Amino acid sequence: MPAGEGAGPGALPVASVEELVTALREHAYLADHGLATAIWLALALDKPLLLEGEAGVGKTEVAKVLAELLGRRLVRLQCYEGIDASQALYEWDYSRQLIAVRAAQLGEQGVGDLFGPEFLVERPLLAAVRAGADAVLLIDELDRADDEFEAFLLEVLSEFAVTIPEIGRVDAAHPPAVVITSNRTRELHDALKRRCLFHWIDHPSVEREVEIMRVRAPEVSETLARQVAAAVARLRAMDVATRPGVAETIDWSKALSFLGAVHLEPETAAATLGALLKDHDDLQLVRGRLDQVLEDL
Amino acid sequence: MSGDGPGAAGTRALERLVGFGRQLRARGLPVGTGRILVFCRAAAALAGGGGLDRDSLYWAGRVTMVARREHLAAYDEAFRAWFPDAKDQMLATVGEWVPKTELPPEIEVVLEEGFQEESWRPPSPEEGGEEALVGVLASNAEVLRTKSFTELTDDELRAAHAVIRSLALELPTRHARRWRPSPYGRRFDQRRTLRASLRTQGEPFRRAWRDRRRKPRPLVLVLDVSGSMSTYSRALMQFGYAAIRAGRQVEVFCFGTRLTRVTRALRVGEPDRAMREVAAKVSDWDGGTRIGASLKELLDRYGQHAFLRGSVLVLCSDGLERGDPELLGVQMARLGRLAHRLVWVNPLKGSPRYQPLARGMTAALPHVDRFLPGHNLASLEALCESLG
Repeated sequence: MPAGEGAGPGALPVASVEELVTALREHAYLADHGLATAIWLALALDKPLLLEGEAGVGKTEVAKVLAELLGRRLVRLQCYEGIDASQALYEWDYSRQLIAVRAAQLGEQGVGDLFGPEFLVERPLLAAVRAGADAVLLIDELDRADDEFEAFLLEVLSEFAVTIPEIGRVDAAHPPAVVITSNRTRELHDALKRRCLFHWIDHPSVEREVEIMRVRAPEVSETLARQVAAAVARLRAMDVATRPGVAETIDWSKALSFLGAVHLEPETAAATLGALLKDHDDLQLVRGRLDQVLEDL
Repeated sequence: MSGDGPGAAGTRALERLVGFGRQLRARGLPVGTGRILVFCRAAAALAGGGGLDRDSLYWAGRVTMVARREHLAAYDEAFRAWFPDAKDQMLATVGEWVPKTELPPEIEVVLEEGFQEESWRPPSPEEGGEEALVGVLASNAEVLRTKSFTELTDDELRAAHAVIRSLALELPTRHARRWRPSPYGRRFDQRRTLRASLRTQGEPFRRAWRDRRRKPRPLVLVLDVSGSMSTYSRALMQFGYAAIRAGRQVEVFCFGTRLTRVTRALRVGEPDRAMREVAAKVSDWDGGTRIGASLKELLDRYGQHAFLRGSVLVLCSDGLERGDPELLGVQMARLGRLAHRLVWVNPLKGSPRYQPLARGMTAALPHVDRFLPGHNLASLEALCESLG
């Protein structure tokens, strides 16, 4: 292996996948064996981790928890249509430069170096490169950005070095941990995928979702959590257009528990269904079949 | 064990791992040498000098060599075939040939030069299966393109549907309200020019331009599912499915004697499941045709919806109206005023002797912008081009 690549598991604060699962649990994130293996390998092999899955299965959360767990800074790059290098990498602070020019004209001070570090506005990618191993870089919803941006990102991810013509090259001594998420509104390029470890996050099993609720919403009673998880699992199997994610399940159980529910009753369930389903057609569909969803819970 | 290289057991383990990568490739997964290398490193890292359980090996391979959700099923199957036994001897020895993540340089040689086939190797599809498969598809593609949908076998039809789903859909666009920077824009962008001038000490060295944002127009498919038309409509439904998947604003309706909106059913997951949903919703597959009445229902119920106004509307039907042709004419005129472009796809037009003499067809044609066949892949491609 080339020198400088891969810290090896020895340098990691977690020595094995099992330890990582425990550590994640301490930070209120319940990962299954597959996800934990993916995260651990990404850290051990120094590879970006590409997470795909439906909305609300906790993709973004992985990066946040990881930063917390490793005691690193979370640098987040939210992608959107039309994002370009000046919004992702760096930009010059034009207004400050202008003021500096004015001040120089009035003779109050010298122009100094207009393209010096003090006029540089750091954007997430540059911040991550500078922080190096002290950062977790989250590239969120990459599928929203354009193809061109993806190509540009590929360049940054393979080198972890940024060249600013006026200043010089900024290198990361050790690359940051990188988590990329995609909602799969479009397929990402194979070139990018080849650089990454890939993991598809599915909706959690009923038992795991109960556990998640118990951790994330401790005020919800165990019976209620069980019933909610089972009902949501049935709902996901129905042909709803937008299948509710874990976040929605938690919201729903919180709403129910706030109304004082200990069991899942048809009336309160119908009244709070809006916390779970956000599509009018879906709501109608499920309201019509609520008995079926709540049967024998 | 160790620094000087793998022992005999280690070499065998390595060959098993590399062989698994090749097996995946043979099954059509895009697994290159680089990925196999990462897989070996991952397995070694997980083993950490000791043994490895089957589950961990499964995840090591899945995380490093699969990059699409669609490939997961194929991966699972390959894994079961290649590592059928949880008490596999090889699993216990994985950790022996590599200390931590360091891989011996030999692995490059192994990967490059290949190795002896072992007796445990399960009977596998021939190497280079991926290329072979592509070759077969390519040679059949021409035949497939020009054959009418009704003459295709089930397998061919499935292949055709895959091709339809891959057709690039370019919809005409309309101006949106907002502006966007554009190097070829027609309007001068003062703000950005000024801002860019600060970079060059106040000199407006680079001028910036802007243009109206453009939005693709909505696509509406209205498909005749009566009698002989159902095969063609199914093909167009695949097209609608692909368009929905591509994130376009698409609405799909079916009609025979009455109108059914199937957009929602098409939105669910896999195409086959979506088709089953559609089939369950549409009650009048293979019934009669009342085009005029169905269009009236469409206009009355959805005429005020944003998706009809300014849309590209594709109507697929043979035009053999059982109802009143006059009603059809009136409804087509209404549609023509509302939609940006009205395309009538009539598979009968694929026959060189066809003339649009049916009374329904003659009533409708004056309001139609484009009149196309659409009975085979080639003509669907032409349809795609004419939409853009």
